[in-house]
This record gives sequence, structure tokens and C-alpha cells, in this order.
Amino acid sequence: MKGIAHFSVGVALASFFQSAVKAGADGSPMYFILGGVFGLLPDTLDFKFYKFFYRYDIIVTPDPLDPDPQMIADGVAMAVNNSFVDKKPVRIKLNTIRMGSDLWRQYSVKFDIPCRKVVVSVGPVVRTDQSVVEEYSCKKKEAHSGLLCGVKPDYETETVADILDGPSFLMKPTADKRVVPIFIPWHREWSHSLVIGLLFALAGTVVWDVLAGMIIFGAFAAHILVDQLGFLGSCLLYPFRASLRTGGMKLIHSGDMLPNFGAVWFSCLAIFWNLYRALPWQIDSFNPLKLVFYGVLLPLVAIVLLRRLLSGHARSGTSA
Amino acid sequence: MIYTIIIYAAAGSVVSSILACIPGLHVYNVMGLLLLSGCMPGCPEIIVPLFTGMIVGYAVMSTLPSVFLAAPDESALFIVLPGQKYLMCGRGYEGSIITACGSMAGLFLLLLLAAPLAPALLSVAHTVFQPHLHWILWCVICFMLMSEWPKGGVLGDGGFAKFIDGWKATGAGLVTFFLSGLLGFILLYRSPIPSTVAFQNIMPAFVGLFTLPWLLLNIVSGVSIPDQKIDSRSNLGAVSFLRGVFAGGLGGGFAAFFPVVSGGVGGFLSGHATALRDDKAFLVSQGVSKLVYYAGGFLLLFVPGLGIGRGGGSWLMRGIYVPGSYHDYYLAMASMAIAGAVSLLMVGPLSWGMIKLIGKSSFRFLSFVSLLLVFVIVFAVTGWRGEFVMLVAAGIGLIPVLLGSRRMNCLGVILLPMACNMSGCGAKVAGWMGLL
Repeated sequence: MKGIAHFSVGVALASFFQSAVKAGADGSPMYFILGGVFGLLPDTLDFKFYKFFYRYDIIVTPDPLDPDPQMIADGVAMAVNNSFVDKKPVRIKLNTIRMGSDLWRQYSVKFDIPCRKVVVSVGPVVRTDQSVVEEYSCKKKEAHSGLLCGVKPDYETETVADILDGPSFLMKPTADKRVVPIFIPWHREWSHSLVIGLLFALAGTVVWDVLAGMIIFGAFAAHILVDQLGFLGSCLLYPFRASLRTGGMKLIHSGDMLPNFGAVWFSCLAIFWNLYRALPWQIDSFNPLKLVFYGVLLPLVAIVLLRRLLSGHARSGTSA
Repeated sequence: MIYTIIIYAAAGSVVSSILACIPGLHVYNVMGLLLLSGCMPGCPEIIVPLFTGMIVGYAVMSTLPSVFLAAPDESALFIVLPGQKYLMCGRGYEGSIITACGSMAGLFLLLLLAAPLAPALLSVAHTVFQPHLHWILWCVICFMLMSEWPKGGVLGDGGFAKFIDGWKATGAGLVTFFLSGLLGFILLYRSPIPSTVAFQNIMPAFVGLFTLPWLLLNIVSGVSIPDQKIDSRSNLGAVSFLRGVFAGGLGGGFAAFFPVVSGGVGGFLSGHATALRDDKAFLVSQGVSKLVYYAGGFLLLFVPGLGIGRGGGSWLMRGIYVPGSYHDYYLAMASMAIAGAVSLLMVGPLSWGMIKLIGKSSFRFLSFVSLLLVFVIVFAVTGWRGEFVMLVAAGIGLIPVLLGSRRMNCLGVILLPMACNMSGCGAKVAGWMGLL
């Protein structure tokens, strides 16, 4: 999920504690800040700190002037094969191909499992918003490299490297003589552990109070649990059972609009309701049904109608 | 009376639409100067349509300097990069029209959806959120700072060198926020601006933080703008348009309702919440967000039973007339509709005019003239002390421009001192800084 979804879930969690709401009304923003900050902290630790210190065994950097798909394919195959032969993990980083301040050459890496090979395709030039730049028409180049063993992807069989930082894999040999390419292995490792969350909570209890500790753990845990809806899972019990990584329920992608917006919207509704409950007086013109009507039903109807309108529009465009 | 309303709404819109094309000149400055001149009548049939027209005209038209001169105000921080992309591809006109489409959608959203529901919903929301505005602002600040991901540190193997490379832009962002926050504290507690123009206290800082850096960069870099096509046709699909309207409406509405949060921050939050990536949807969302933020914030003053003012325009309006009835509310809505129609009709001709201007003169010369204008305006309003504040702010504003961090961090100039004040610790922090 995107950062704002995690942040808002953390703040919403803090709002369920009436003491935190009371403190907020009395001028202390601390509990809500802790909820938001620790709700976002797991991804912050990974993307802003840990990834810069993660070391690789193989780094593939294609030439931006003449990217060679064979070089890329050979690099990936070498990582898989070395892992299989040496029976130990191999870390590989695939760098993106930057063509300009807002231009990137897109390429994809696909694990062809039945044929036991890696297929790399160097494709079009794209902008940072991933839209294709029509003015730069590049001939698609493809290459492949053979693998010594079977591959069992833990994410998707095809990965696209286009903008910003490129993908990385941890090629890990398995007992059944295959290799698992673990996607962005530095993400959701120790930082997404409930045990680490507990440690933060204990520190928070010492520095502030028990309520702060509870909010810290709740927000941290909420982040980890929401992430289980995705494709990557996490090491829930790191450092105990460090190798045990959940697979994720594979229900949503992190960039999907509706789940992200849904998380933010429902968090805001929860915050509103919790703040309303804490008011020392009741508002005559307001009741929970109105919140459900204006906050849930109306927006839901609007979204359903819009989706139907847009899918009908898309279909008529396609048929035309 | 009806003709008076139409004339003043249209006139306000026309005047502010033209003035909005001048970089660094904000509609609140013009409204403030009008009030100072003492020639403003107090009757609502003139003042309401005139001020409404000015605000709507500015909300629609201030896109143009953002797209064509890369000199945005704080509510257009996000419009610059996609707008600049269009400009550098010779499609600046198309970019401004797409944003104007967003403004039009924002007007419909405001008048047909938000305004009818506002009296019923907003008073409840205001009652619930009022004691908690301070921590909501703190949460916005925390998210702003935490969400800036490192841009560098892509190449090379892991280690401190990679970490430092990655954190250059992010670190610059944090430095920008806190330096601008420090400037904000100074302006709030020990302002060098004369008290006679205290209502323009923040203007030199905003001009220095947001307008000057880009103008300076344009002059130094000597960028040349390709020929612009005057063609309003675009591949703006329904999906992009609706996503943009949705995101912009949310962002602008949030910024209009919550104090201190500006249109730029609202747009940033809604862009994240709706996972907005497409440039066209982004431009649409910025058009919606600006209009909903400025016009919606002003309209809040008129919502019966609410009585809150958001934005400088509301505060200036309150100085001469305090609306209170449904008559005033409908008057404001009608004025918005008229002013919106007029300003939207002017987008095309004014964009065409700006393109001709860019075509006839070099971009560097235009930026230089804009820079001189900015200096003159700031001096005329706030004197040489304002110029000094502006230059200091420009130094801070250059950090994100040169080091690639978010320009939005410059909003620390209002966010940090106001958040501290709302939490009750502003004076304490000012005391630590030696300002009291």
C-alpha cells in the first residue's frame, strides 16, 4: 500500500483510544503523530535507510546508449546458476537505464519456467509517469540465457525495470533443487517484523507512557498486517524464525488506486467517528446513519456508477 | 441589482485574470491594496461579486505563469513539472487548456455538489474537528516530511557513500523545511516588515520562496522554449479527466476546509491518496484543486451557520462585510458562476497572448522583466525591508530547485509556526530562538 494509506491507518488507530483523543483536544498532538509515524515507519526504514546499505554480489548496469539484453540475461542467469551450484544465496541488482531527466529505457526480465531460461526484452523509452514517448521509436531487442535449474518465483514471472531505482533479487536455493528469486529482498525483512514493532513499543513506553507504547505497536502491526494483502508478505517473527517469510494473500498491488484510497477514506471516517464520540455534547443534526449514508453509501454508489460509465465508454471506444 | 452583480463579478474576474499573469502578484495582495485605498463600498451587491470574481479569476488564470514562466504560487507547486513538460514539447497551450478544463470541473463540483451539501455537513465537521485542527496539521507536516523518498543512491554497491548520495535531495528537503520554518517564526514574532503593511507580512517570503528561484534559474540557464502550437485538442480521455477531478476535488476541499493547509499541500495529499500518476490527470487535478481551494475557501465564509473564513480573501472580506444569510450565500455562488464563465473564456486568449509574448522575446528576457516586476511590486508594498526578506527567502527557495528536493517544503514558512501556535507551544519555541 502507498505511504499515505499506512499513515492514515496509523492515525486512525490512535483515534480509537479515547485518552489520545482527549489529549489531542487538550493540545497534545503526540499520540496521533506517533500513530502516523509508526504506521509509515516500516517502509521508511527500508526505502530510506536499509536499501542503501544492502550489498549485492552482481550489479547489472546496461549501457544507456546501446543497452544489451544479452548482457542483462547473462547476469540474471549467472545469479541463478551460481546460487544453484554453490547452494548459497546470490544477490543481484538490475539498474535502470536513464536516458534523460525524465526519460528511461524500459526493459523486462522474464523467467521462462518451462523452458528454463531468462528472457530479457529491451523496449521503448518511457517518461517517469511510465507513458511511452512516441517520438523515440526504438527497435525492441530480445535475448535469452539458459538456467541450470528450475525457478520458483515468489512474486511475478516477469519484472519490468523502467523508472527510478531498478529491481533486485535474492536468488535462494531450495531443498527441491530449484531457485527462488526473492523480489527486492531488502524490503519487508526485519523492518516488517512484529517483534521489532514490540521493541519500538517498549521503547515508546519507556520514553512516554503505556498508551504511546500501545499506539506504536498497533500502528506498526497494522502496517504489517495490511501488507499481508499484497504479494510480498514479510518476515513476521524476525529475528526469531528469520527465514520464515509469509507469502502475502496476493489480493492487491501496492499501487492499486481503489484499495489505497479505500484505506485512506475509511481511516478518515473512523477518525471522524472517534472524534465525534469524544465530544462532550451530542450534535442533534448528526447520527451514525448519516455518517454511513454520506461517508459510505453515497461514495460507493458514485464509484460504481463511474466505473460502469467508464467501462462502457472504454468498450464503445474499443468497438469503434 | 442583478446587472450590478453581473458587472462586478465579471469585472473582478477580468481584472484578476489579467493580473494573475504577472508572476509574484497574488490576488490577496490586490484585494488588500484595494481595501487600503479606501474606495471599496460596503454594500454586499458590489463587494461580494467583486471579491468573488477576483478570487475565481485568479484561481483559474494563475496557472498561466506556472506553465509558461515556471513561476508558480504556493498552490501550484505540483503543476510546474508536468506543465513545463508540455511547454518544452511545444504544447504549453494544450497544457493550460487541460488545466482550465480542470478549473471548469472544479467550478461545477463546487457549485452543484459541495455548495448544496455544505450547510448540512460542514457545520458538523467543523464542530467535530475544531479542537483537533492542530494535530491534523502536525500529521500533515509529518507525512510531508516522511514521504519524500530519496532520489539518488541508485548506482554502486551498498554503503555510506550510497546512503549519502541517496539522502542529498531528502536531506535538502528537510533543511528547506526547517529553514523556511525558522523564517516563518521570525516573520511572525519579530517581523522586519513595517506594521502599517502587516497584512502583507508573508508576501515577500512567499515571492522569494516560490517565484524568485525559478525566474533566477530561467535567467541563468538561458533555456529556450520551442515554438508553441496553438491547438486545444488533446488526448484527454474520460478516465484521466475523472481521476483528475476526483483527486483535485478532494485535495482542494481538504485545503479549503482545514486552516493553514494550502492548495499545493491538498493536491499533494490527494495525489498520494488516489495514486495519481498520469500527467494529464495531474494537470486536471491541479486545475480543480486550485479552484476548489481558493473559491471554496472563500465560499466557506458565506455558508450559513458556519462562519469560518479560510484564506486571505475571507479575512479581507470580513473587514468590511460579514455575510450571514442564505441571500449572501446564493449571491456568492451566483457570482462564482458568472466569474468562472468569464475567466474560462479568457484562458484561450490569454494563453495565446502569453505564447506570442514568449515567441517575440527570449525566455530569458521575459524572466528578467518578470524579475524586475517582482522586485518593484514587493518594494511598492513592503519597502526595502520586504526586499531583504524576499532575498533571504529566495536563498532558501533555491535549495530545492538546485538540489532536486520538493519545493513544497518551503511551505514550512507557515506550516511550522502555525502548527506550533495552534498546539500552544509557539511562544515557547520563539523564546528558544531568542525572538521574544
